[in-house]
Amino acid sequence: MHELSMADAIVKTVLDVAEKNQAEEILEVTIEVGKLTMLNPEQLRFLLDVLKENTLLEGAEIIIEEISVEIKCLSCGYTGSTNLDDSDHYLMIVKCPECDERNLEIVTGQECNVKNIRIEKPE
Amino acid sequence: MHKIADVEIQHDIMVANKKLAQRNQRILDKANVFSVDVLGAIGSGKTSLIELLIKKSDEKIGVIAGDVISKFDAGRFQQYNIPVVGLNTGKECHLDAHLVEHAIEDMPLDEIDTLYIENVGNLICPVDFDLGSHMRMVVISVSEGDDTVEKHPLIFKDADLVVINKIDIADAVGADAEKMVNDAKYLNPDVKIIKSSLKTGEGLNEIIEAIKDFRNNLC
Repeated sequence: MHELSMADAIVKTVLDVAEKNQAEEILEVTIEVGKLTMLNPEQLRFLLDVLKENTLLEGAEIIIEEISVEIKCLSCGYTGSTNLDDSDHYLMIVKCPECDERNLEIVTGQECNVKNIRIEKPE
Repeated sequence: MHKIADVEIQHDIMVANKKLAQRNQRILDKANVFSVDVLGAIGSGKTSLIELLIKKSDEKIGVIAGDVISKFDAGRFQQYNIPVVGLNTGKECHLDAHLVEHAIEDMPLDEIDTLYIENVGNLICPVDFDLGSHMRMVVISVSEGDDTVEKHPLIFKDADLVVINKIDIADAVGADAEKMVNDAKYLNPDVKIIKSSLKTGEGLNEIIEAIKDFRNNLC
């Protein structure tokens, strides 16, 4: 259930920034979630909806953008996306799509980034 | 009058955890303490393995016992008269670098050589949270089923040592321990894999040596 702690951290981050920017209302929040995190975007959204009640976030639209996986092959140097197969989606962390070697680094796909917010504030 | 403004935040919670983890490691390095994050499934033998390492190893060991309710495991370690810090995670399914930072504050680092951090029994959530340990040891057992490795690839991809425990009961539970070894090798070709039975003692010396070798190779 670590969506709850992540949702809590996201709400705290957003409210902190909103207050510093004299927001009277938060209209929109954009969050980036990497496809390799162990976070389920739908569960995250549900918990954000619960936690935002009675805060400046109450009426905000939550936008969750999924970040695709990019790997770097330490054998052939290939850097880029991998073929995503939903039935075996972790295969992409195992083999380089170019040379089939398994000596890989994950470049993107592990984020949980509070990207930006849209707020309403006094002129 | 009001206006609408877009505010850039770019605060990655994973990166924030990683930075805290790096700070934890610097604190441990300064105190010359080697630390191992002990991950694994519920009931796979994490606590038993740490108990055996305390008994058999010639190192001065401290333990951070993380669990939903930590007093049970912490109590098991305390009987060996070593420094133990219990970490209650409450609702949470994993330790994170922030929790470990506070536990390290309570740990007498000058009295120990090696710190074992027992994570919450879970093969999924702890993957996202680096704690600042030097080594990640994953303990699983045949009784979880021989498809455990292929079902939880990320934790094995990041592991430095994999212990496949309870091999003495593999036949009884119909599990193929070799399949588990091969699956782990497939995911992480360089990882050290040890089959053990902590009940009979099989594999224990090999685990102790593997941890020592890993530490020596860091220096």
